[in-house]
Amino acid sequence: MTIEDKVKINKLPTGVPGLDEIVGGGLPEFSFNIIAGAPGSGKTTLAHQFVFANATPERPALYFTVLGESAIKMLRYQQQYTFFDPSLLPESIRFINLSQVVLEKDLGAVLEEITKEVTKSNPAVVVVDSFRTMVRKPQEGMDLQAFIQRLALFLASWQATTFLIGEYAEEELRDNPIFTVADGLFWMRQITERNSIVRKLQIIKLRGQASVPGLHTFRITNAGVQAFSRTFGLTAGRRNALGLKRLSFGIPEMDKMLDGGVREGDSVLVAGSSGTGKSVLATQFIAEGIRQGESGIVAVFEERPQAYAERAATLGLDLEKPQDEGRLEILYLRPLDLSVDETMHSILSAVQKIGAKRLVIDSLAGFEMALSPGFRADFRESLYRMIFALTGIGVTILSTVEIDESFIEFPFSTYSISFLTDDIIRLRYVSIDGQLRKIMTVIKMRGGNHAKDIREYEITSDGVVILNTRLTDYQGLISGLPVHTDLSSRQKDTLLESEAEKSS
Amino acid sequence: MTISPEMRDLAQRLLAYEADADKSSRPMESVTLRTYEKLRQCLVAFAGEAGFQSIAARALMIAQVEVPSLCAVQVTANGTLQRLDDVEPQTKIDKDQSGYQKSGEDPPSEEGTILIACILGLLLIFLGEALTLSLLRNAWPDTTFDNRNSGDGRKA
Repeated sequence: MTIEDKVKINKLPTGVPGLDEIVGGGLPEFSFNIIAGAPGSGKTTLAHQFVFANATPERPALYFTVLGESAIKMLRYQQQYTFFDPSLLPESIRFINLSQVVLEKDLGAVLEEITKEVTKSNPAVVVVDSFRTMVRKPQEGMDLQAFIQRLALFLASWQATTFLIGEYAEEELRDNPIFTVADGLFWMRQITERNSIVRKLQIIKLRGQASVPGLHTFRITNAGVQAFSRTFGLTAGRRNALGLKRLSFGIPEMDKMLDGGVREGDSVLVAGSSGTGKSVLATQFIAEGIRQGESGIVAVFEERPQAYAERAATLGLDLEKPQDEGRLEILYLRPLDLSVDETMHSILSAVQKIGAKRLVIDSLAGFEMALSPGFRADFRESLYRMIFALTGIGVTILSTVEIDESFIEFPFSTYSISFLTDDIIRLRYVSIDGQLRKIMTVIKMRGGNHAKDIREYEITSDGVVILNTRLTDYQGLISGLPVHTDLSSRQKDTLLESEAEKSS
Repeated sequence: MTISPEMRDLAQRLLAYEADADKSSRPMESVTLRTYEKLRQCLVAFAGEAGFQSIAARALMIAQVEVPSLCAVQVTANGTLQRLDDVEPQTKIDKDQSGYQKSGEDPPSEEGTILIACILGLLLIFLGEALTLSLLRNAWPDTTFDNRNSGDGRKA
């Protein structure tokens, strides 16, 4: 048997932004699926999105409502979502109430009723909502396992893709015949973290194709459910070969320190304390990219885009025009209670929309503060996933991070994220000759022969300007409290003399 | 809830349509009952008997305020109407009134018009215009209904 002989399983669009990527391209046609979760977790909304995305007059969707939510109430609320198209009812989407059959008869009668309606309508999609209320009722006659098996067999044979919706607790996962028979099992969770709510979706099971494992964040807005894949939709993307191109900062001395510039597709971390010029450097990096025809994205958390552009203008950098021309986007991502994945989704969408080659995240501290408390624990992991995904498609990322200035140590980052970065540029204050001056050094450059120099710089109306002279007369510059070498040698001589006296 | 002129007009059109339809097998029930029954069957299919019964009972209560003679009417557990015949006038229409003269059908009574209008009004409140008209098109597939918001220009 060759690969061409194998049956091809069509994939149906889920109608849920982001979910197709998570389930591996779409939902397998004719699959028998369960959407499980607690009340209010978005199960019905997800099913409706699938129904509205796939129902046609020729192959309609049958939506069986059972005990529980009244169909009138359900439709009253569901039609508020933008995906809800009333013109599809009733030709393409038909709601059928089974409450009476469930109340008065047994599962055999329910199966008979579903069979009758399916045979009559030849649907492409069948939903039973809520399936759980049906099986909670004490049953006589046909047992649950037989009912499930016959229902699944019948619906698959009639070429229907099915969703059973049920309110289940996680401990019910074991030894449940429904979950055994199902081809797909979608679990929707709503987790309380301090004062915020975190919604997560997990594909516990999906026969026939690989789905993205793990818990995926999702949000319910007026557009319905939107899922955010943990891999940000970039897993299938082609990974670029290591870039040979060097990206300039527009600061010649800085480019020299970086062996010609930042390597394309690298992740650069600019670390320093407040006022050392991290944002200025980042702005110059993005502006130089624009000047060279490379579109860019700036994600800001601590000031609004207008203020960011105005500050750039004081450095002689015009960020207004490239925004108008669609070559630059400044994203303001400050709303609280964001999930990391949502924030990153916004960044990724912008990157893909304008084909950005450079991305600035200013700053990681602001980014973390904009997240809901529950997501902060995932910050490092999510950052890793985003950097990996973006650099993989050739985007060069420059992130700024604020470091508490210390005169006894030289940390690179408060987030222990230096392993995420290819290049680290450290800015710091140093006390010299009664002045608080600034120095920079390239700490790390993966795959590059960067300068070992510690260079003094100033922030002027032209931005960061690296001074020509190296501070060769000082030792201990990175401590922030350097000692002039003349003084240092005098101290050393004194020390040696003192030790000599002792030994004699 | 007040009965809007639009709902009253829509109710009258449904009743008129039902009066004019199916002349060959003249049913014994009044046109109100036949119209009500069509609505019931259509709504029970997707909302269940209990769902329809609660809507119908509420509509009847509202209608009773407008037409006190409806106080004698009852909605049963499965949503059917009882004792409407007791309150609807049984007189035949004069031959010079259009719409019902050809069939010799009873005209729609004020009671019937108000009751149907109340049901339609509740559907409009709960489901909105688009879905309500979708349901009506399903129950009366041979007719068309004006959708003020759709702009599709179809008329009853």
